[in-house]
Amino acid sequence: MTVVRLREVTREHGQVHALRGVSLEVASGELVAVMGPSGSGKSTLLNVAGGLDRPTSGSVTIEGRDLAEVADLAALRRGSVGYVFQDLNLIPSLTAAENVMLPRELDGVRTGQARKEALIALADVGAEEIADRFPEELSGGQRQRVAIARALVGERRLLLADEPTGALDTATGDEILRLLRSRCDDDGVAVLLVTHEPRYAAWADRVIYLRDGLIAESNTVRLESAR
Amino acid sequence: MSIRHGLLALLSSGPRYGYQLRVEFEASTGATWPLNIGQVYTTLSRLERDGLVAPDGADEQGRAVYTITEAGRAELERWFSTPVAQNDRPRDELAIKIAMAVATKDVDVGDVIHTQRMATMRGLQELTQAKRAAAGGLAQRLVLDSLIFKAEAEQRWLDHCEAVSKEKNA
Repeated sequence: MTVVRLREVTREHGQVHALRGVSLEVASGELVAVMGPSGSGKSTLLNVAGGLDRPTSGSVTIEGRDLAEVADLAALRRGSVGYVFQDLNLIPSLTAAENVMLPRELDGVRTGQARKEALIALADVGAEEIADRFPEELSGGQRQRVAIARALVGERRLLLADEPTGALDTATGDEILRLLRSRCDDDGVAVLLVTHEPRYAAWADRVIYLRDGLIAESNTVRLESAR
Repeated sequence: MSIRHGLLALLSSGPRYGYQLRVEFEASTGATWPLNIGQVYTTLSRLERDGLVAPDGADEQGRAVYTITEAGRAELERWFSTPVAQNDRPRDELAIKIAMAVATKDVDVGDVIHTQRMATMRGLQELTQAKRAAAGGLAQRLVLDSLIFKAEAEQRWLDHCEAVSKEKNA
């Protein structure tokens, strides 16, 4: 099942053609890595795929809904899309659990129920024991686990990750990729991962190279399940 | 690759017979460098010739057992305490290929780089898959990590080649 589909997407920022006709699908359970030199359009691709930005032309569909026909993009994003960035993911004055509860509370879920869901999401990422700690009391790897829990709390099945391992050492970065991989394999989450580091891209089912706003070539070798 | 020192290292924890050495060597290196049993026996007889191992009778099933000598332990200690020099490694065919692509007029360097990048990424994906599946110990994991870091370095170097050759052409 396709979770996000881009068809012939272009995005122009003034005179700059950030994307020049990109087509891409990410299915449930699939991890797709996007690589490319800086300025190649990686972050624009992620923003367009997640409804943070609208394409200049072409179409973007998330879970069957064409974004061009969606009036309230924010609501669609809250319901379907989770984001993880390199840093600045968590609100420092809230505990890990409160950070994860936040998007559910914004959706109108009651506090008790939101906390219950948050604890499940934290357990899914192996971070239940740090639920009541504040971000500054956590290691970089733990903070990213919490950010992933927050991105996936509720029923969201599309995770967009922009250099989520950027601030981590390689062993911790590997653990984060192992975690993203297990969210794909166990729960059918679709992950679009932007990274400039080949070692993390190598965890993906497919690796796509963006060059000058175009997909130069995609590697369609699908990894067989490790299990 | 030093099979010689690998076998000495295994024998330093106690006498072993040939097949056992092969199995243990492959287990600790994650079967990254498969050994055939012939290589094991050839290496053992050279080690014996050099006085680094000695035959130690046979086990109950009649298999020839080897043990490390004092000289063997000294050699092993020397090996562990000596870094691997860059020029002990063979010539890098990829670097030569890229250099020749740059020097040859009718070749599109960008294409050569990109073809290699896809292949190296496939290799990196396979290594990562092996790492995900690996149930073995720390030694095996670190060998896979070594190959992953090397593939990664190659990717970075290819990115660098592309960027530099673009600048030069611009």
